[in-house]
Amino acid sequence: MSALALDPAGRRWLRRARIAAILAALAGVLLLAVSGWFLTAAALAGTAGPMAALGFNYLIPSAAIRGLAILRTAGRYGERLFSHQAALGAMAALRAGLFARLAAQDGRTGPDLAGGDASARLIGDIDALEELIVREPVRSASWVAAGAGVLLAGLAGWAAALALLLLLAALPPLLDRAARRLTRQPAHDAAEALGALRTRYVEYAAARAEIAAYGLADRVTGDLSRFAADLDAARARLHRGEGVIAALLAGYAALAVALVLRLADAPAPRVALALLVAAGAVEAMAGLARTAFRRAGVAAGLRRLDALLALPEPVAAPASTEAMPLRLGGLDLAPGARVAVTGRSGSGKTVLLETLAGLRGAAVDAAVGGLAPAACSGAMLRAQFALAPQDPALIAGTIADNLRLARPGVDRESIWAVLRVVALEDRIGGFPEGLDTRLGEAGGTLSGGERKRLSLARALLAGRPWLLLDEPTEGLDPATESEMVARLDAWLAASNTGLVLVSHRRAPIGLAGNVVAIEDIATSPCRTRV
Amino acid sequence: MTWLLDIPGAALFAAGIALAVSSLAAGEGPSWGAVALILAGGAIRAGAALLAHAVAIRAAQRVVAGWRARIFPRLLAGRLPRPLLAGESAALAIDHMVAIEACEARFRPARAASAAAPLLVAAIVACASWVSATILLVTLVPFALGMILAGSAARRAAERQLAALAGLSGLFVDRIRALPIIRHFGAEDRIARQVAAATREAADRTVAVLRVAFLSGAVLEFFAALSVALVAVYCGFALLGLLPFPPPEKLSLGHAFFALAMAPEFYLPMRRLAAAYHEKQLGNAAMAALADVEAPAPAPPAAARFDGLRVVQLAIAWPGLRIGPIGFELASADLVALTGPTGSGKSSLLAAIAGQVAPAGGAVTTARGDALDPADIAWAAQTPLLLPGTLAENIALARSDATPEEIARVAGQVGLDAVIAARGGLGLMLDHRGSGLSGGERRRIGLARALLSRRPLLLCDEPTADLDRASAAAIVALLREVAAERAVLVATHDPALAAAARLVVAL
Repeated sequence: MSALALDPAGRRWLRRARIAAILAALAGVLLLAVSGWFLTAAALAGTAGPMAALGFNYLIPSAAIRGLAILRTAGRYGERLFSHQAALGAMAALRAGLFARLAAQDGRTGPDLAGGDASARLIGDIDALEELIVREPVRSASWVAAGAGVLLAGLAGWAAALALLLLLAALPPLLDRAARRLTRQPAHDAAEALGALRTRYVEYAAARAEIAAYGLADRVTGDLSRFAADLDAARARLHRGEGVIAALLAGYAALAVALVLRLADAPAPRVALALLVAAGAVEAMAGLARTAFRRAGVAAGLRRLDALLALPEPVAAPASTEAMPLRLGGLDLAPGARVAVTGRSGSGKTVLLETLAGLRGAAVDAAVGGLAPAACSGAMLRAQFALAPQDPALIAGTIADNLRLARPGVDRESIWAVLRVVALEDRIGGFPEGLDTRLGEAGGTLSGGERKRLSLARALLAGRPWLLLDEPTEGLDPATESEMVARLDAWLAASNTGLVLVSHRRAPIGLAGNVVAIEDIATSPCRTRV
Repeated sequence: MTWLLDIPGAALFAAGIALAVSSLAAGEGPSWGAVALILAGGAIRAGAALLAHAVAIRAAQRVVAGWRARIFPRLLAGRLPRPLLAGESAALAIDHMVAIEACEARFRPARAASAAAPLLVAAIVACASWVSATILLVTLVPFALGMILAGSAARRAAERQLAALAGLSGLFVDRIRALPIIRHFGAEDRIARQVAAATREAADRTVAVLRVAFLSGAVLEFFAALSVALVAVYCGFALLGLLPFPPPEKLSLGHAFFALAMAPEFYLPMRRLAAAYHEKQLGNAAMAALADVEAPAPAPPAAARFDGLRVVQLAIAWPGLRIGPIGFELASADLVALTGPTGSGKSSLLAAIAGQVAPAGGAVTTARGDALDPADIAWAAQTPLLLPGTLAENIALARSDATPEEIARVAGQVGLDAVIAARGGLGLMLDHRGSGLSGGERRRIGLARALLSRRPLLLCDEPTADLDRASAAAIVALLREVAAERAVLVATHDPALAAAARLVVAL
């Protein structure tokens, strides 16, 4: 499947858009042709005397001119609407297909798009593609207008028509070559310069406090301006390239008209018609020029999207939901056991939890049901563990949406039960919209600590044999903390759920019966993703 | 205004065609003069296109350079209304600038041309046929009315709806970012169906909105076509002598044809403007976002001599982060630790105390209650800034007039002597990544810099994180020593460092 492939409905809309575009382009060329012919013929009839003038059939041409003006308008409107309809539908299908394909990948080996940059690039690629589809109908219209132009120019003699045909046939490859020459290097340079500027900028942004404290803004801005200058230079070349294409078209139109004029061999009205048609036909090719220019720019994005769509569709193997024993370092843990993992920050505690959760494939000295996590299928790990990560990882939507992520169709009773465990029932009960309160809007409905507890409630709802908690009580005052720890203790006991806990705080560590040092587990704290 | 050059080119081109047609109609052969006019017109138009693009991008990049000069220092060192993630900051400083450049390079020149160019075209047409020129100008009236009708009310409603729809399509981005956790809970099939339904709905509703939004484009198209048709019909009837009223002007074929060939030029600038509408919207959105950051912070009152730090009821409330209110005092020689786990906002609180982000409430003053002078605050970062240059230059970033002896002394004080001895002294060349330096060594460079600055208040962000036990202990000892003569505030979750502090403020 290619990113540019359309479904039948999309193809239908695109066909309609193409017809509308062709009608608009034909009407545009004919409007000029009929106008030119009408004017010249009217002048000849006018000078031939009042009798000739009265005998001149002006009704058909003048009606045709007005009709063509309306047809051109309607055609353009239809083309824009239908092409957007095709593109929007195609992009919706592409987004859905891409998402399904990406979601089905094993997070440990699939492409990592969680980062802001990667997802922003994906969105940018899709948007660029949408524009390409929107412009697609204009391409066919350009060809039809050119063909009509050649036929109409034939009224002024075969030599003129042949010259126009040759000129118009040579134009698309010329535009294509020019567009590629003008865009390839600058587009590449611009992407490189943008990346370099962003990398350096992000480094400085991370050192913001020192830059501010010691007044180093000018030095840093000066250093960044070198990278910005590279970016500007490449983008300026791209923009001037567009100017070259526009200039090429303008010169080409003049050349075509001049050639048709020299080669025409017909009465004045027909030559007038051919001259305006030649100019119109070249102008109709402008659509082709714009797509050629854009196409060269989106080629890389198209390749990236096609690569994502070509990802294999993994077969989902059903995994046993039965609780399995866990081994961490030298410690053997039966289902329902609880362990706290301690160690310095940055020593790999979070990596361990994420590895057990199947989010990443680090090498750790641990075993699930006797197997190293890396050897377990994603489905098997998911069936065993429910993670409340350090960053709460909530999705945009309501509180209920977030909780239902872990267990679809869960009733409100169970939701309130877990919210009670994490000491959020009063807070959320106090919202006018309760569970249907939307998160993530400006102002932030929940504080950082509350978001973490919501994330914990979600993990509880999942009902897995093992719970993985990363700093669950962070940002809580001691009273709330001890309250929540006591409720969690009761919940764990009642549901016979095992616990792997990472925390710096004393109260939650009290939940665990065992303590293991991370130094005994983490054999390689860095990611081993391919 | 360079696009105006296009119009003389178009006029020469039209004149060439008109000359050719009228001499053919008079029974003469096509003149070389006409060919020359046509080619000259084409050459001028080509030149105008080249020049206009070159001038436009230069002007646009000058505007962007101005924005960068204002925004970079603001984002990288100014007081911000809320802390920005490095990615957010980069989006403002880099991606928004690209949007502004596109707007300035495409929309602004098109708008400038769209005001003057139609009038210039009408004036040129008037030389050949003032009635045709009048016809062109008169179409502007219903055109303007149509744009107001189709444009304003309907389009504004449509834009509002489109903004609301952006949220629906934003779902895709959000769910892509949340993919790891979605997979973890095995919800990928459900969420994939939800994403499919949402994107489908967004597409369907967008089409409904576009039907209205494209109307203004249709109005423009209609009048562009109608103006050509009206000129053609008028000129045709005038040449036939069949006008239903006394002819207002004497029209020759040459003049009439010139007017006809020029007529499409009348609405061309407005069509170019409409084509740049998308760039305008993106550019305006970018400028609005940047203006939020740029909004000047109130000038701090005159600062007083530092005699200790007083933090009263300081509170932070940003989306996703709420801290405080907290209060504490720091004597002029003191060590206080702010503690809390990673992500609890210690660094943000330090930044608020340093005046780099605006707090939601509370006050940060000297012990006597006067305003704090930013030049009294030294900052030792978790990942210190390194600029390409020597080690000595990097230490001296805080005070450029420091002597080599002073630099060597602070370097020894923070325990950098080993590096200096092993790797070629203070002249050791560093790149901006600090390649070859360990995390502990970089941390020490930051501390050396802070000490060299001789500033009375030292703020340290996680000075012992990621260090092995021995180096961490050395840093703690050093900070104790420094605290004997300066006010030191550390943000840390290291119990050893917290134990060394006179006061521990837990978040």
